[in-house]
Amino acid sequence: MEHTQELEKALAELTRVTGVTLDVKANTPEEERQALSQIKCLYTAYKEKYNKTDFLQGLMTGGIPSYDIHERAQRLHINPDEKRVLFLLESDTMDEAVPEILKNLFPAQTKTYMIPIRDRAAAILRPLRSNETAEDIRRIARTIVDTLNAEALIQIQVSYSFVIQSLSDLPEAFRETSLALKVGKLFYSEQTVFPYNELGIGRLIYQLPVSLCENFLKEIFGPEIPDSLDEELLGTINRFFQNNLNIAETSRQLHMHRNTLIYRLEQIEKRTGLDLRLFEDAMTFRIAAMVLNYLHAERNQ
Amino acid sequence: MASLSLEGIQKIYPNGFHAVKDFNLEIEDKEFIIFVGPSGCGKSTTLRMIAGLEDISGGTLKIDGKVMNDVEPKDRDIAMVFQNYALYPHMTVYDNMAFGLKLRKVPKDEIDKKVREAARILDLEKLLDRKPKALSGGQRQRVAMGRAIVRNPKVFLMDEPLSNLDAKLRVQMRIEISKLHENLGATIIYVTHDQTEAMTLGTRIVVMKDGVVQQVDTPQNLYNTPCNLFVAGFIGSPQMNFMDAKCSIKGDDVTLTVGQHVLKVPASKKKALIDGGYDGKTVVLGIRPEDVHDSQAFISNSPDSIIESTIKVYELLGAEVFLYFDVEGTQMTARVNPRTTLRTGDKAVFALDMEKIHVFDKETELTITN
Repeated sequence: MEHTQELEKALAELTRVTGVTLDVKANTPEEERQALSQIKCLYTAYKEKYNKTDFLQGLMTGGIPSYDIHERAQRLHINPDEKRVLFLLESDTMDEAVPEILKNLFPAQTKTYMIPIRDRAAAILRPLRSNETAEDIRRIARTIVDTLNAEALIQIQVSYSFVIQSLSDLPEAFRETSLALKVGKLFYSEQTVFPYNELGIGRLIYQLPVSLCENFLKEIFGPEIPDSLDEELLGTINRFFQNNLNIAETSRQLHMHRNTLIYRLEQIEKRTGLDLRLFEDAMTFRIAAMVLNYLHAERNQ
Repeated sequence: MASLSLEGIQKIYPNGFHAVKDFNLEIEDKEFIIFVGPSGCGKSTTLRMIAGLEDISGGTLKIDGKVMNDVEPKDRDIAMVFQNYALYPHMTVYDNMAFGLKLRKVPKDEIDKKVREAARILDLEKLLDRKPKALSGGQRQRVAMGRAIVRNPKVFLMDEPLSNLDAKLRVQMRIEISKLHENLGATIIYVTHDQTEAMTLGTRIVVMKDGVVQQVDTPQNLYNTPCNLFVAGFIGSPQMNFMDAKCSIKGDDVTLTVGQHVLKVPASKKKALIDGGYDGKTVVLGIRPEDVHDSQAFISNSPDSIIESTIKVYELLGAEVFLYFDVEGTQMTARVNPRTTLRTGDKAVFALDMEKIHVFDKETELTITN
């Protein structure tokens, strides 16, 4: 009888994982089910035993119990207690050139592991040399971005974790880098490298429940929360904040009469009750703008 | 090679940050254009928009007359060199340069031709079999350039490629890049925050601040006729001296008063002050350190531009001396001949070359007299 689609898929997976090509001759559906089950067991066992990528993928996503980590790592010749840093990469246009470039940037002898995450993301687990500092880790992240920009000509963002002392820290490191990437892209979109420990107030906002964010925004804007703020107005306010609430400097930079700037600030005060010339109100508005941005992104998702 | 046109280019990030505002520039074929400005001024963002590594929020980018806004980076026919370049450690120089072409599945013989040609231009022919470890910093940088050259792009985009090199190597590589521009006849856009690099490399320089183009001009014109206070202060090392001065206009006579010092404005400069109605107003007087003279001959010939002070610091640099002193609470620098007899603590008399002064509006910070 002809193979079912599921059996064909399992056979292809077996070949992908083990390199072994197998054919199945089944006379009844029952026989085929048995064959399917055995093939699946075969490649799962093979993956568990020999495939470092699957092991690390499972470990990152919390799919491997902590009591099993050391033994399985050693079986795969991965030193479980080596200091490492996890880098997480994401790009909208991750093509086949990317793994090739990364493989050559971190060749096998560096004991760096490349772990595909999704279609558009990949992780790099790189050992840390004894003399490497936080600045070196940042430079490595920058090098990844610059090299992929130059060689593959793709837009890319990279986040990185704290120093992992042992493989049992990897799930937490993965959570942190994933969070850093999400928060970074949302709140610091002008950057391409997001260290786990430089997320600032974005980290707080990102972890707030949506209902709490909405309540906060209602306090500022009243029941009619705007979808987003007027771009020109937001640009003016951002510049005002960048200039430490200095009206003269901001109006000069924006080629705007100071009275126009003051008028715009008064319009915001009318709308929100916040006088942006006062530090505390400016801070509240800044947070409100970030929360609004966050909700906007959440809705779009 | 190619010409570029940037019309009203804007970059606004989703978080509201307005990084580049209304950027307009026409770049001719084979030009060496420098984007210079302090950190965060939008120069790298503009370069990345040209490369396609950042989306363009507004305006039109054209390369050779074709609109490129929505064209994929790999289809723009550009090559980039970055600050944090990395060579593939286990590959030879040859393979490092060939790698990008192999990824694009370029035929072997074509790769070989291009790599050897790039190696010849960069004087790397004898090093093609070496691994990066066995290269000096300058040689590695040249290999990084080679990776861009083999692509034979229409435009080279360089983002602070020398920033990670030490000072000596940077000077050497500046010369190399300049030669490279001549040899390739390429259109190059080069980003730097280093004004010396900008002045020595560029055929034209774009000075940026806070996402806004301040001035686009040749290095010489930027130095001699800056359009505003920012450009005047940014270009030149040591930077231009600035003092607040009160402008007085009596008939045809225009003077600038700095504390007790009354300086007579020459005919070539006074018309703009008279026409602008600056009588009684405070302006900013700018003068470059080399236009502050301590020689007796110059002082005798310039009785209407004398300032007096006490030398705070004497700095001998071999071919020249920098003298630092205060005038009405503002620190000034004079770049004088090493034969000067002035030393720290001496009372000194200087004469300003009034033909070389720059006067700026204190409110708008725009130049008045250029």
